[in-house]
Amino acid sequence: MTDLAIEADGLTKVYGSLTAVDHIHLEVPAGTIFGLLGPNGAGKTTVIKVLTGLSDLTSGEARVAGYDVRRHPMQVKQRIGWVAAEVILDDDFSAWENLWLQAKFQRLSGWQGRAKELLAYFSLEDRQKDKVSTFSTGMRKKLEIALALLHEPQVIFMDEPTIGLDPATRRMLWELITGVNREYGITIFLTSHYIEEADALCSLVGIIDQGRIVALGSPADLKAKVRADFIEIETREAVDEGRLRAVPGVQEVRLQGTTWVLRVTRAEEVLPRLFDTLTPDLIGRINVEKPSLESAYMDLTGKRIDQAGTEGRDYRKFYATVRRARQ
Amino acid sequence: MSNETERPALFTPKSSFPAVPAVVRGVPQGSQFAGLYARELLRTFRNPWVLVITVVQPFMWLAFFGSSFANVPLPNLEALLHIHIQSYLQFLLPGVLSTSMLTVGMFGAMSTIQDKRFGYMKRILLTPTSKTTVYLSKALGSATRGLVQIPVMIVAALAFGVHLEGDPLMWAGWLLSLVFLALGFSCLFLAVTASSTDWQTPGVISNFLMMPLMFASGALFPAANFPSWMATIANWNPVTYAALFGRGVVVNGTANWLYLGYVGIFAGVMMLSGTLVARRYLRVE
Repeated sequence: MTDLAIEADGLTKVYGSLTAVDHIHLEVPAGTIFGLLGPNGAGKTTVIKVLTGLSDLTSGEARVAGYDVRRHPMQVKQRIGWVAAEVILDDDFSAWENLWLQAKFQRLSGWQGRAKELLAYFSLEDRQKDKVSTFSTGMRKKLEIALALLHEPQVIFMDEPTIGLDPATRRMLWELITGVNREYGITIFLTSHYIEEADALCSLVGIIDQGRIVALGSPADLKAKVRADFIEIETREAVDEGRLRAVPGVQEVRLQGTTWVLRVTRAEEVLPRLFDTLTPDLIGRINVEKPSLESAYMDLTGKRIDQAGTEGRDYRKFYATVRRARQ
Repeated sequence: MSNETERPALFTPKSSFPAVPAVVRGVPQGSQFAGLYARELLRTFRNPWVLVITVVQPFMWLAFFGSSFANVPLPNLEALLHIHIQSYLQFLLPGVLSTSMLTVGMFGAMSTIQDKRFGYMKRILLTPTSKTTVYLSKALGSATRGLVQIPVMIVAALAFGVHLEGDPLMWAGWLLSLVFLALGFSCLFLAVTASSTDWQTPGVISNFLMMPLMFASGALFPAANFPSWMATIANWNPVTYAALFGRGVVVNGTANWLYLGYVGIFAGVMMLSGTLVARRYLRVE
């Protein structure tokens, strides 16, 4: 037996003319929290769909919890849990009934004791008879994680677990995720476009851009790879690129919308020279990025993660619409 | 970037982590079907309006449609309908019950589309539950919803003073013919909408099927009055046979078991072909 929870080799998924996932190679050791980091539309959700057997893969191979996702999808599905980005529960049913349905789908018996313990752990036991439609988003998230844990999975897939949540709920979830991983030794595969989330939670991070994994390593490894600082400048008037390039210490100049992104040796040395070249009244906004997961991402893809990819959906609005539609 | 090491503990668990393992696997396959079927029924009948409409609708059929010929002398009616009856309602009851099984599939199709749109289909299919199980549970769920109308309608007819013939075996056969019809049309609907995610599709298909299958059948008027093209449709229409079987029982006290067999074959073929379609085309979202 292997102690890899997830293995993928040449994993490819093509939708029509769009290659959503392009020859991905991945090895996630059992017991780690793996974060797949990338902008909207980079292919994160598709990777989850293919690894969980929800979508067929176009080519390549993948094994999850020791089973080939193509040949033994049911074996894989018995061993994985899933937490959706948009919180998918049966709103017309109570928390307990949602657990009961999950137990039926997973063909469990004697699950009631564990369900009670999970509800107690997530502080939901007082509300177990209430309809899920009356729950707050944080409670719904917690119930969804309880559902994912009910059948003792080896791997839990979490698609953007904290998207659209307020900071306090997000932190609570971070603690839950690390707790579940630590106490149960469950491998967690999560996707995120929040750099700080990957930094706080993950021991292994893959950066995905346009369907390809462009970097793989621990957050510390990825930061160490970036031996440069980034300076972002917005100017009040148009500035000639040559003028910026001429400043000693500037390695690379890129224009991202209205912002100049300079890759520099050391920001501390370059900044004074920059102020000499550009008079202070010309500078609208300036930002320095020291080596971080964010600067690693900028270095690899040339964009900030929250700017990249397709237009981000307004998730608060999205949740509100879904809620209304359900009522 | 925030400093993670100093963040306060916002979530303090009340109890320790639950011990592993407390769960036994390997309950028979039927558990998934039972769960999904129960979910369909609970979702349907927890809505008080569904219950009200289920009870009220049959009464309205009998009250309004059944009174359409109230002032026609019975002999004239009998000449028109080519059958010896005690009242028009006696003729109508089996026909109305048969035609109301036409639309039951719409509910299953709508519930399936709702599951696709809200992502619940993903939740189901990310467990070891097969598309076949999902399909059959939806089909049986919506068929059951339609079948609830049967006892209500029969009670309503009795309340209107209709005399019904037949012995218990014949009645069982009649009910079975309606079960077959409901199941067959549920399977048909769900197969046709398997790849759809549009709310409007079931309604469109229902309207499209409703008219020809309702009127080009022997359910409301005898096919003997039809032009030949319409009689041909009626001859192939399973609604005709469930209606004729029921009419034979409640009007004449006779049962033509061939008719029941025909409706049974219809249900079997729909279930089998629908399952094949769903296994291949049932969309997840």
